[in-house]
Amino acid sequence: MDKVDTAVSAPSSSGNQFVTAVWAIVWKDLQIEKHTRQTVSLMVMFSLVTVVMFNFALETELDAARNVATGLLWATILLAGTLGLNRSLAIERENQNIDAVLIAPIDRRAVYLAKVISVTIFTLLLEVVLVFVFVIFFNKPFWQPVVLLVLFLGTIGYVAAGVLITSMTMQTRAREVLLPILLMPLVLPLILPAATAVGEMMTVQPDMSIIRSMVSLVAAYDLVILATGLFTYHLVVES
Amino acid sequence: MIQIRGLIKQYGLNPVLRGVDLHVPAGEFVTLVGPNGAGKSTLMRIVATLLKPTAGEVKIGGWLMPQNSGRVRRHIGLVSHQTLLYGDLTAAENLQFFAKLYRLDNSDDRVAEALKRVGLAARQRDAVRTFSRGMMQRLTLARATLHEPDVLLLDEPYTGLDQDASALLDDLLRRESAKGRTILMITHDLVHGLNLCDRVAILSRGKIAQEVASGEVTGAEFLDIYAAQTGRKAGMTKANG
Repeated sequence: MDKVDTAVSAPSSSGNQFVTAVWAIVWKDLQIEKHTRQTVSLMVMFSLVTVVMFNFALETELDAARNVATGLLWATILLAGTLGLNRSLAIERENQNIDAVLIAPIDRRAVYLAKVISVTIFTLLLEVVLVFVFVIFFNKPFWQPVVLLVLFLGTIGYVAAGVLITSMTMQTRAREVLLPILLMPLVLPLILPAATAVGEMMTVQPDMSIIRSMVSLVAAYDLVILATGLFTYHLVVES
Repeated sequence: MIQIRGLIKQYGLNPVLRGVDLHVPAGEFVTLVGPNGAGKSTLMRIVATLLKPTAGEVKIGGWLMPQNSGRVRRHIGLVSHQTLLYGDLTAAENLQFFAKLYRLDNSDDRVAEALKRVGLAARQRDAVRTFSRGMMQRLTLARATLHEPDVLLLDEPYTGLDQDASALLDDLLRRESAKGRTILMITHDLVHGLNLCDRVAILSRGKIAQEVASGEVTGAEFLDIYAAQTGRKAGMTKANG
C-alpha cells in the first residue's frame, strides 16, 4: 500500500482552516465585484426601476402607496435578491470553477457560508440604497434601528435559503426559472414576520411585543436555515 | 499511487463504468483513451473526488475513497478542458485565491514563481478573460500545480489549443512528469497521448479493454489496437466521436 505523508493525515476542517477558506472565497467574490461592479449595480438598477414604476402606478393614491410600502420594500428585495443569487451562481458555473473549489482541501461547509456572506454583503449594500429611496418616495421612517435590524436578519435568512436552492439548481437547465419558484415558498415563513415587524414600525404607536415576537421568528428561521445549509451543502454539491 | 478495482458507476439504471481496474504507480504518466461515452470523464471525476462511485474501490496514496476524500485532496491537481479559472480576476489573483484555499506558505513567492514557470509573469495583472486559450491552459496548469500535488489529473487538456500552444503544454507536462508526479490524462488525441506518456489504457464500454506501454508500439500499430478494442476507426491522430 502506498504511503501518504503526515501533512494530509490531519483533519482538514480545523477552525482556523475553516475561517481561512471562508475568507478566501469571500475575498474572491469581493475582488470580482470590485473589477466588474455587476452584481450590486444590477440589483440597484432593477430595484430603482421597480420602485419608480410602483410609485407612478400608485401616485394618485398617496396613502395607499404608503400602506403598501412595507410589502413593496420586501418584494423589491426578494426580486433583486434573486438577481444577486443568480449572478453569484454564474461566477461559479462559468468555466466550471466550482470544481476547482470543491477539490481543494477545505470543508465544503466553508463554501456555503462564504457564498452566504458575500451575497448578504451585496444585498445589504442594495438595502442601504433602498432604505434611502423608500424614505424619500414614501415618507416613512424606514431608517429606524429596529427596521434595519429586521432587514439585516431577514436578508441573512433569505440569502441562506437562496444559496442552498441555487446550489441545488446549479446543474439544471431551467435554473434561472427554478430559483424563484423554489425559493419564494421556502422564504414565506421568513418574509411574513419580517414584513409584519417592519409594517408595525410604520404605525404611529408600534406594539413592541408584536415586533419582538416577529423578530424572534425571523431570527429562529435564520438559525434553522443556516444549520440546514451547513449540514446539507456537501450533499447538495455532490453529484 | 492510484489503485482502481472493480469500479462501477451508474446514473439511475444507466451503467457508465462496469468494473474498471487500473493501477497507476507513483511517478508514472498514464493516458486514458476511449470513444465518447466510454466513461473517461466519469472515471476522472471519481478520482478527483468530485463524484462518488456506485461500487468498487478507489485508492489514492493508499487512502480509500470517498471515505478519505478530504485527506487526499491536498495531493491532487486537476486540469480540465474547462479552465476552472475566474475570468474577471487577474492571473495573479486567481493563483492567490487558490494559494489561500490551500493555505500555502510564502504564497506571493509561489504565485510569482508559478506565473514565471508558465511564461505569464508579464501578464499577471491582466484579467484572465483577455487571455488566449493557450495562455488560459498554461495558467490552469499553474493553478493545478501551485500546491505541488503528487497526482496530476488532466481531462482533455489539449481541447481548443493550436499547434504552438499544444507544443508548449507538451513541454510543461514533460517537466511536471520529470518532477516525479503521477499523471493520469484523458485525451482524444491518440498518437499525441501515446508519445507523451509511459502507458496508455483503452477504456471501452465502461471497462479497461487493454493497456499498452508507449515504447512497445508505433503510432500506427496503436491506432489498429484502438480500432480493434473499441470497434471504431480512429483517424491519423484523433479518435472519432
